[in-house]
Amino acid sequence: MAMTQTLAQSATPVCWSCGSAHEAHAQLCGSCGKLLPPVDADYFALFGLPRRLTLDVPALEKQFYRLSRRLHPDLYAQASEQERQWSLEKSSLLNDAWRTLRDPIARTEYLLELEGIALEEQSRNATDAARAAGTAKQQIVPPDMLEEVFELNMQLEEARMAAQDDSGDPELVANLHAAEKNYSAQMEALHTQLEQLWSAWDTALTAGDATAQEEAKQSLVALLNRRSYIRNLVRDVRQALDSIAVNRGENADKG
Amino acid sequence: MAYSEKVIDHYNNPRNVGQLDKASTEVGTGLVGAPECGDVMRLQIKVNPDTQVIEEAKFKTIGCGSAIASSSLATEWVKGKTVEEALQIKNTDIVKELSLPPVKIHCSVLAEDAIRAAIGDWKKKNGVAEPAAAAVN
Repeated sequence: MAMTQTLAQSATPVCWSCGSAHEAHAQLCGSCGKLLPPVDADYFALFGLPRRLTLDVPALEKQFYRLSRRLHPDLYAQASEQERQWSLEKSSLLNDAWRTLRDPIARTEYLLELEGIALEEQSRNATDAARAAGTAKQQIVPPDMLEEVFELNMQLEEARMAAQDDSGDPELVANLHAAEKNYSAQMEALHTQLEQLWSAWDTALTAGDATAQEEAKQSLVALLNRRSYIRNLVRDVRQALDSIAVNRGENADKG
Repeated sequence: MAYSEKVIDHYNNPRNVGQLDKASTEVGTGLVGAPECGDVMRLQIKVNPDTQVIEEAKFKTIGCGSAIASSSLATEWVKGKTVEEALQIKNTDIVKELSLPPVKIHCSVLAEDAIRAAIGDWKKKNGVAEPAAAAVN
């Protein structure tokens, strides 16, 4: 990040081939069209974007295809070794950037990482702090949530066992369907909240409001943490329902 | 994903799966989660009130093979130790024993968190405040 800033602040870079000035994050020289060397840029900067979370994904996709056509290694098959190397590097970076930015969750996690928040590192540091203090670690997610995950998984286990000997208790299956609906709805609600937090972050970023940015970041962390549990619950409930359906099918064939 | 042999062994034959009486004053319960992956772990210990030795440990983990192996190993390790000795167990010890790859280190962190949480709960129930106060033998 510091590197990008230095580049942006330093004298306007010039093309290695024709010597014309170009923008810091340009991929190709505007004058001679030659490929420019890779610069240390984050995924947003690569697309010439500010670090805003609300993104026009279809527009980004168009830009991605336009850029990847221009940077494609096939175009540089006859070029110098150096240019071939640059083309490979840039294409691969571009692919990573597109894959990350198009996905709402990956994009949010990436921004938090750029902003110095690594979720896993945070958790590990909290454990180290707890060890040093000889105390239990403060849990990020409320205990109710953990209890809920536990309880549902007990139900799922029961349901899987019941499905195996075809004693498939209809009430249990109905419960699972209700749970699936409930957690899917929670996932959707979380997505709506996520988009609201994106706006909060974008507004704070545009306004240069550091306090509001910090608040938005912390809320995003809390939301992502909660989301990973709900995501697993949805996944587990669906798996259980699938295996029940499969077992029933097999038993029906036998009978 | 290549699991180490020790992970597979603990996964196939988890030690000490189960539950202890949560209401008992001799039992400490730790319920912890790893938000990175959504795994949840419950670890319980039963402590001898006279010797402060952990006589019994049980766990139940909702998570991947490494999380199950980490908690299984944690219950094996805390058994027979005093509460204070058990607090010395570090997640890096678990990583070493199970040869966990970097992407699974958070599973070992979760196991250490679970031990601490269980001991914390037991201390709270029994009015043990400071770690240093427990060194009576």
